[in-house]
Amino acid sequence: MTRNDPIKHFFIWPALIIVLMISIFPLVYSLTTSFMSMRLVPPTPARFVGFGNYLDLLQNPRFWHVAGTTTLIAFISVGLQYVIGLSVALALNSKVPGEGIFRVSFLLPMLVAPVAVALIARQVLNPTMGPLNELMTAIGFPNLPFLTQTSWALGSIIAVEVWQWTPFVILMLLAGLQTLPDDVYEAAALENATPWQQFRDITFPMLLPISVAVVFIRLIESYKIIDTVFVMTGGGPGISTETLTLFAYQEGFKKFNLGYTSALSFLFLIVITVIGLVYLAILKPYLEKHK
Amino acid sequence: MSVRTLKGKRRWLALGGCLVWLAITFFPLYWVLITSFKTPIAVVGGPTYLPFVDFEPSLTAWSELLSGQRGQFFSTFWASTIIGLSASVAATFIGAMAAYALVRFTFRFRLLSALIFVVIAFGGFLLGRHVLGYGQGISLVYAFVAALALAVISSRFRLPGPELGNNDIVFWFVSQRMFPPIVAAFALYLMYTEMGKLGFKLVDSYVGLTFAYIAFSLPIVIWLMRDFFEALPVEVEEAAMVDNVPSWRIFFGIVLPMSKPGLIATFMITLAFVWNEFLFALFLTNSKWQTLPILVAGQNSQRGDEWWAISAAALVAIIPMMVMAGLLSRLMRSGLLLGAIK
Repeated sequence: MTRNDPIKHFFIWPALIIVLMISIFPLVYSLTTSFMSMRLVPPTPARFVGFGNYLDLLQNPRFWHVAGTTTLIAFISVGLQYVIGLSVALALNSKVPGEGIFRVSFLLPMLVAPVAVALIARQVLNPTMGPLNELMTAIGFPNLPFLTQTSWALGSIIAVEVWQWTPFVILMLLAGLQTLPDDVYEAAALENATPWQQFRDITFPMLLPISVAVVFIRLIESYKIIDTVFVMTGGGPGISTETLTLFAYQEGFKKFNLGYTSALSFLFLIVITVIGLVYLAILKPYLEKHK
Repeated sequence: MSVRTLKGKRRWLALGGCLVWLAITFFPLYWVLITSFKTPIAVVGGPTYLPFVDFEPSLTAWSELLSGQRGQFFSTFWASTIIGLSASVAATFIGAMAAYALVRFTFRFRLLSALIFVVIAFGGFLLGRHVLGYGQGISLVYAFVAALALAVISSRFRLPGPELGNNDIVFWFVSQRMFPPIVAAFALYLMYTEMGKLGFKLVDSYVGLTFAYIAFSLPIVIWLMRDFFEALPVEVEEAAMVDNVPSWRIFFGIVLPMSKPGLIATFMITLAFVWNEFLFALFLTNSKWQTLPILVAGQNSQRGDEWWAISAAALVAIIPMMVMAGLLSRLMRSGLLLGAIK
């Protein structure tokens, strides 16, 4: 139910003006430059090239590789975050012993700067003085190439993402769980519904809107991953762990190839928009059903 | 005793799972804590775990950090605190207002008005910059004001074309977060320098960085708060409306107190985002308003990996957030919401 009242403008315009002011220039500027050939080092005069930058990129195998890597990292880590986050939130919501302590401590990783997390991960994963390597050696896997071999490096990055961002999922799902009404569960208990039935038929469907929102936010944010990868592997070995933002950074701030970088960021935007729309379209019927 | 409370074996299973996750959460933090008290030799010699048992703790890293040998530590800390708190308070407040408006009021406008805004903003900028030869800053200001004015005026008329509503506004807000931050940061730097030429100092200033952080936090605040407001029972508000309570008093007196857990969660997320943000801080500051993540990252590059120094600097950035998590989770205790409904 919505109503109409002139005061609504007072509520919405501050946010609208601020976001418009900050977002319109980057948009105008980079859309303009994405159709130009423009380099700062060595300085070349800006030249209009139309869709040239875009075509170059789409024919560049590195772009497809980087997009694939980013998708892999984003989907696997968000999937794990959701599964772990939901389990922990359910446990906390059902008053597991020591719930108060868990609740505070589980939030910590989210509050640590990604740059710091990546530096900590490099210490823990260090082959000579890291504790994890010593542990793995003790159970019979000596000298694992955590950051120097593609699949291990990808796994390490995903592990760090899961470590850092599962707290966000826990926080949001727990807040969602606490708003669910008790009377539905009381009715279910009277009907002798098992805990699994209660979860499947009550908790999960009622939690679906906030779950969709949480996963959506995490997917978008994961696609922009740069700090952790930059510090942990620098995109290596080779370009095997390079992500879209890191690729843009290399092109823009190592080569100062501004037109190319802008075109890349618009392709990036298209990729994310398509994924977001597909995601929402797939889930829409479920959301409508449980409204 | 709620019906949802676990019983018997399930309870212990859940506890076991939570303890495992607790160990995973804490181990890296513990590791960075002990590393910050190790001497360089103790770090290089291989992993050691317990202070006084298998290594002698030392305060070298901390005294170096606090005495300012490794960058302007105190001013950086204050800059981070001031910017973080003010940006997240402002973003939560402004975003909550907008989210409430989008949940409870009807917004209708024609697609054509939005298109007018985009076309005038783009066209005006290109015209001013490349045809009339103004500077980037001036053409930007003119184009923005003209575009906004024309869009608002045009929405008064009954334009043809499809009509947009609340969901489209929300989608627009959220889509702002999809834009790759690296390009936004670079373009914002150029915009701020242009504004500096016009006499508004925004690069390495409090206003510039805070403003950018508010803008980049708003989409997420609106998206999250909208879910919380939608979950609130509308009956309380309806009762107040029957009594002719004005909308702004309903919002400040009833809705905000009722959504306290949501507001606190949103504030925490915003503060964590602003406190840890790296890219914008890197581009938009250089000395006076530099923030902690820049200082932490700076420890990495000087003389190879000096883990003891990196750990101490990282901890300084982490500890305030830990304290805040403790304070806020007390406020977040369940029951606040239930109390408001009863």
